[in-house]
Amino acid sequence: MTDSSLFEILLASQGHALFEHLGEGSFRPIGAYSDWCKRIWGEAAAVDAEPANTLRLAEAAPFLENFLVDAAAFWNSHTEGSLQSGNWIEHTSDGDEIPLEASAVSLDGKSLLIVRNLSHTFAEQQQLYQTARDSLLEHENLIREIQKKEILLHCIIHDLTQPLTAMTGCFDLLSAEVLSDRVAGFVLTGRKESQRQEQMIRGILQAFSADLSGQQSADGKAAEVPDIAAIAAQAAKSFSAAFSAHGVRLQLAPRLDPSRDWKVVGDASRMQRIFGNLLENAMRYTPRGKGVTVGVEDEGSRVLAFVDDEGPGLPPADVKESSARKLFALFAKGKDRPGKAGLGLYFCKVTVERWGGTIGAENRPQGGSRFWFRLPRAAAAAAQSSSVSASASAEKTVAPASQPEDAVAKRLAAGAEKSPVTRATQPMRILIAEDNEANRELMSELLKTRGHTVVDVGDWNEALAALKKQTFDVLLMDEEMPRMGGIETTRAIRSAEASSSSGKHLYIIGVTGNSTEDDEKRLLDAGMDAFFPKPVRMDTLFKAVESREGSKAKEISGLSPEVVPPSAAPAEDAATHLRRTTGGNEKLMRSLAKSFLSDAPRKFSALRNAITKQNADALGKTAHALKGALGIFGALKAVALARSLEKLGRDGSVQGAAEIFVSLEAEFVGLDQQLQALQPKSKPKTKPKAKPKSKSKPAPKRAVHSRRKS
Amino acid sequence: MLSKKVCMLGSLSVGKTSLVRRFIQSMFSDDYFTSIGVKVDKKMVRVKDEDVELVLWDIYGHDIFQKVQMSYLRGMSGYLLVVDGTRKQTLEDALALSERVAKEVGKVPAILALNKSDLIADWEIDSDREAKLTGDGWTVIHTSAKTGDAVEQAFSQLAHAMLQNK
Repeated sequence: MTDSSLFEILLASQGHALFEHLGEGSFRPIGAYSDWCKRIWGEAAAVDAEPANTLRLAEAAPFLENFLVDAAAFWNSHTEGSLQSGNWIEHTSDGDEIPLEASAVSLDGKSLLIVRNLSHTFAEQQQLYQTARDSLLEHENLIREIQKKEILLHCIIHDLTQPLTAMTGCFDLLSAEVLSDRVAGFVLTGRKESQRQEQMIRGILQAFSADLSGQQSADGKAAEVPDIAAIAAQAAKSFSAAFSAHGVRLQLAPRLDPSRDWKVVGDASRMQRIFGNLLENAMRYTPRGKGVTVGVEDEGSRVLAFVDDEGPGLPPADVKESSARKLFALFAKGKDRPGKAGLGLYFCKVTVERWGGTIGAENRPQGGSRFWFRLPRAAAAAAQSSSVSASASAEKTVAPASQPEDAVAKRLAAGAEKSPVTRATQPMRILIAEDNEANRELMSELLKTRGHTVVDVGDWNEALAALKKQTFDVLLMDEEMPRMGGIETTRAIRSAEASSSSGKHLYIIGVTGNSTEDDEKRLLDAGMDAFFPKPVRMDTLFKAVESREGSKAKEISGLSPEVVPPSAAPAEDAATHLRRTTGGNEKLMRSLAKSFLSDAPRKFSALRNAITKQNADALGKTAHALKGALGIFGALKAVALARSLEKLGRDGSVQGAAEIFVSLEAEFVGLDQQLQALQPKSKPKTKPKAKPKSKSKPAPKRAVHSRRKS
Repeated sequence: MLSKKVCMLGSLSVGKTSLVRRFIQSMFSDDYFTSIGVKVDKKMVRVKDEDVELVLWDIYGHDIFQKVQMSYLRGMSGYLLVVDGTRKQTLEDALALSERVAKEVGKVPAILALNKSDLIADWEIDSDREAKLTGDGWTVIHTSAKTGDAVEQAFSQLAHAMLQNK
């Protein structure tokens, strides 16, 4: 036996088949033509092919045909080594599968192809890959399971935050009432704590808000058959207090017939949450004075549930179906007034879909938007078997949450009707002339709350026009208004009264930021009946207006125990101050803060310009206006600084104003943060204006800005 | 007779082998046996009154252990890009693979098979994503090798596209 023959036998015993490439895809077997080759490519190919003992492997095996393209290039390159084909599977004539691998080799000028039968090692190789890939898939599954649990956690957290809306609504209602100090303290604590709880929940959510995906896992509970109409009604009842606090009407659809069969597939407690989420969403987007309607409609085999609002509707980009569905995506939030975590609608979607339903949102032709979901009706038999437990479940879930809200709402409603303390004994017609919008709004809202009829105007001209149109009991007038101030206007009114034969005397109360004895004399000499100093405080305002008969200016000032020199006043943050001065009217507080924050950058900019251009007159007037606004928020240091600027301006100087202005800006930063905290989270930041470019005076170094995070 | 090479491409365990098995043998197994090589099968289909032999190259799943050799795609007339609807990562991986294919082979007809439609409740690929795929020019078909849903349709549609492209 030659070495060559020995080598061929050795290769064959190791499962190798050796071929010489003859060109054009034809091969000549070298050595014995193995049985497994015959099973794959046939006996006939080996015996009958021409020229004798020639195989056309390229035609027999598409994989080899493809490999031979690369192999031919390899052979032609006369490169050392070998070219591997990779594994492939061939079928035998009797249906077995044989794993193979081919190698192209150049040897002694010959182009050789070695085909290796991998049957002996393939199982082991496959097991290796199988284990590795199984591990990969298990890892993927594990990650997915963790994500599902995280989403479940998010839903639980979301559930924890939802009752806070109702709680906050109740506290808002309570805050709007005139309460004893003791009760006001309780309300304040309750509100603060509910806010703290919400912040803590937000904190937890942030800690877990990793890149989540996937859907909440099904919990395997058997489907129940709750009465969707009853749950809609219950949800409306639960949210009545919260809607009332927001000034939004909430009603059940008038055509809802509770006597009909409204049983659907689902789970009562989760359905309550779905309605809750949709109602909460609608409340957030519906303006005060508008309405929200919740109801259900019969659609044959399905029931349509809907929450219609009279808000601005979905943005055009969201009206398209694909975008509307995005509203229900995980962590999706509305652009203008986003909710808490972007989970509410997502929860609705995954839950409704798990019950075999659909969910969506669309704009209504008459305006506003409709959020809806459809659920299949429960099969009659299933409905009968489990309706009792479902109803019980609904009751159990809803009743504890709704009872306290209803009780508070009733008590508050009763209190509002019967409480003589909150209302003035003698409602009056009051005209307010004040150029500062925030001050005007503050006085107007407080007096209206007290039961007075109020007209407010922004300057002397409008004031005189209003006086011509109707009769007022009291005129509250700012001392300093554009073009003609309170003193000049009072003189004009008194002059007109003197020339009239009616003998009427309008009771005029000056509202002034200056409260020295000289100021008092100026006001009284001009014809004012009384005055009180800014910042406006609720009790002072009420006493000033309501004790007008026979009162004197000094009496009103003396009746104002809260009016204390800044240096003697206790430190108080803006929220506490506002809460005290507005009687805890959160809406008014927010409104005042918003007005001020939108106006303050302009005033600061005007101050900068005045300093840069050394315009003392503008400095004095602007500082005066800013001083009045700052006083509303009890920003005593800022008021003092604004007063210094005002005095400089009035004295015709801007010397040292830049330094004071820098300090004032620094004070404003702190105030800005406090006021931003009062605002809904989606509000835009207060942007500072550009710094002034001063040639002769140092420009303020620090810009007014907000640090509030959205 | 026309013969068209069709490659099955996609990540591991998306159901490439199962789709071929369903298409060729009308069979399915829940057991997962990973493919580590290439298996070539053939099936005759009739497209517009013409018999076409589909030569199906079931190529192992592309993953960190085995990269698909682009030489396997030589002569390919079209491919089925298979994605497991319950694993969104397999879509991203498949799209990356298709980009490589486009570079190596050029533009050929392809069908994106969102497989495992029998598990659609667990899908991680939502209709928005699907709409974007369609917008990007993909023909997307929901398939289930398990139930056989749309498997014939996927291959048939690809065959039509390949013939139109000839």
